[in-house]
Amino acid sequence: MIPISSLLEALVGFASGLLVGTGFVAFLTVLGIIPRLIQLSKTISYVKPYEASVIIGVLFGTYLSFADVTFHISTIFVIIWGSFHGVFIGMLAAALTEVLNVFPLLTKRIGMDNHIIWLLMAIVFGKICGSLFQWVIFVR
Amino acid sequence: MGGIIYLRLKKQLSVRPNAELKVKDIAYISGPEPLVNKVKNTFVYQITESDQTVSVIDGFVVVDQLINKFQDLDIQHIGPNQIIVHIAKQKKRPSVILVAFIWVLLFIGSAMAIMNFHYDVSMEEVQEKLHYMLTGKKKSNPLWMQIPYSFGLGIGMILFFNHLFKKRFNEEPSPLEVEIFKYQQDLDAYVTDKENMLNSLHDTNK
Repeated sequence: MIPISSLLEALVGFASGLLVGTGFVAFLTVLGIIPRLIQLSKTISYVKPYEASVIIGVLFGTYLSFADVTFHISTIFVIIWGSFHGVFIGMLAAALTEVLNVFPLLTKRIGMDNHIIWLLMAIVFGKICGSLFQWVIFVR
Repeated sequence: MGGIIYLRLKKQLSVRPNAELKVKDIAYISGPEPLVNKVKNTFVYQITESDQTVSVIDGFVVVDQLINKFQDLDIQHIGPNQIIVHIAKQKKRPSVILVAFIWVLLFIGSAMAIMNFHYDVSMEEVQEKLHYMLTGKKKSNPLWMQIPYSFGLGIGMILFFNHLFKKRFNEEPSPLEVEIFKYQQDLDAYVTDKENMLNSLHDTNK
């Protein structure tokens, strides 16, 4: 006989999962990362595999968060994993500034309409330097 | 030679480089049949190298060409104001490597994003606390909560995308498809404005 508390727990777990899942995907969708990737690669017919990728990725991440497993894989794999993660977060951050209309506002205000590329470069290098500084010097 | 010709531009067209566009290629035409037959082969635009990958033909240009050729023709222009002509060398299949790369990128990105989220909100701690509150026992891995949570996560996302791989739940498009459509529409609006020759002529006259 399953105790009632376990059933209650399962209900709470399922409900919170449902909300986090929809929220996560809604966030990705609103930021428009998948449409942008599809447009860049001209792979409109592969929408479903990409959706599956996000879902399987999230489930795998959930497994890694809750399970105590160790994979004994080489550093090269870690480098690849980290690079992919970096590209993804980079797109996420860029999409966030884009959604918030930071650049159009800024360029209009300071009259730099034709030099938007310099602002972009500043942000890109700032992010790279900031990330390197944090991991190599700040948190050590 | 009088009579009314109804002209409705197509929204988009995909052509090969150096194509010669006639009225019948870029528009639907209606009207008295002899008139339509005369009008439909009228030359409108020659695609050149300088067009690169996309060109926009304004409805006005079409009307202008027709009026030059057929003086007393009454042309009713309905539908889109301009047509976007995509110039494609060859319709090539997207490479498997590129698709695989994006797949892995989304996979790892999602996995890391959700892991960071779990640690950020101390989800495991909350689950353990709640497990203690409900059962009065301390347990480090409350699987009774974590396994349904994972199922909920997957189901929530599938509900949002509105289909389980092939099967759809209803006729509605998924929010992702709408987002892709909106993105394409924005791009088209940008292109029709920037690539339209009439608009750029106006700019240089300022």
